[in-house]
Amino acid sequence: MGRRSSVRIAKDRLKVLVVSDRMKCKPEACERITRELFQVLSKYIEITPEEFDVSYSRTHVHIRLTGEEQ
Amino acid sequence: MGEVIVITSGKGGVGKTTTTANIGAGLSMLDKKVIIIDTDLGLRNLDVVMGLENFIVYNLVDVIEGKCRLKQALIRDKRYENLYLLPSAQTKDKTAVSPGQMKKLTSELKETYDYILLDCPAGIEQGFQNAIAGADRAVVVTTPEVSAIRDADRIVGLLEAEKIGKIELIINRIRMDMVKRGDMMSVDDVTEILSVPLIGAIPDDEQVVIGTNQGEPVISMESRAGEAYRNICRRITGEEVPFLDLEAGSGLWSRLTHIFHKN
Repeated sequence: MGRRSSVRIAKDRLKVLVVSDRMKCKPEACERITRELFQVLSKYIEITPEEFDVSYSRTHVHIRLTGEEQ
Repeated sequence: MGEVIVITSGKGGVGKTTTTANIGAGLSMLDKKVIIIDTDLGLRNLDVVMGLENFIVYNLVDVIEGKCRLKQALIRDKRYENLYLLPSAQTKDKTAVSPGQMKKLTSELKETYDYILLDCPAGIEQGFQNAIAGADRAVVVTTPEVSAIRDADRIVGLLEAEKIGKIELIINRIRMDMVKRGDMMSVDDVTEILSVPLIGAIPDDEQVVIGTNQGEPVISMESRAGEAYRNICRRITGEEVPFLDLEAGSGLWSRLTHIFHKN
């Protein structure tokens, strides 16, 4: 089981490509957006990074807070 | 009133033309009146895939420029009832037709045909803009590869921006042996990334190559890819058809064992 499945690699690469295409920015910028959104929200809401997720669709930025659900 | 469907992909070589030919033939087999239009100006292909290259007299640009009547340019496919091809021009460049002209042409065709299928050129330039101008609906073709999926995502974004009502996905050339090994993205992997409703998945099938060699759409051949295309055609007409189990072998036993293993 030494080899990492090439599908895993493909999906990881695609996620970065697709998000930066959709947002029309570099992948690093998307990571910063995600990080800063977390910082802003955590000023007002008590959340941990595990409870927080940002995803980018073609028309929306989805911010998901799992909070007490888990 | 007919429906205009553009078959597009962004990336070249993923099977747009083959898909157009097969869906065209398949819809006519379902007793629909169908016209397939090659909108790739300068690189005419659809006629060759259909095996109709020797019957071309006039083309799309001749019709648009008024050099002939529409009927004179149409090639009726003798093998399929109610299937017509409007070939592209081999010599003109992509600026010979405008989006407005395409829109006018397709809206006229809607009065006569049930389905107007547009084989879109690769890329996102004017040829693409022409092909989507009058489209009510889009079928985006991709293969399970990083570059093809990335381009498909761009295309879907552009189609959404153009307010194309219905956008559906075909995943072409799936090899289940590779999917099982973890070396090819599965149908679920691809739809998860693109988040576009799936209208069909086509197994990598050598019958497609054989069909293309002969100018014979695989849909009328006994084959897995043909079966997948036949299902796609029924889904296009609104019928609910369960998705093919691409893993199933040809024998009944392997299909049965697969059903038991699944759950």
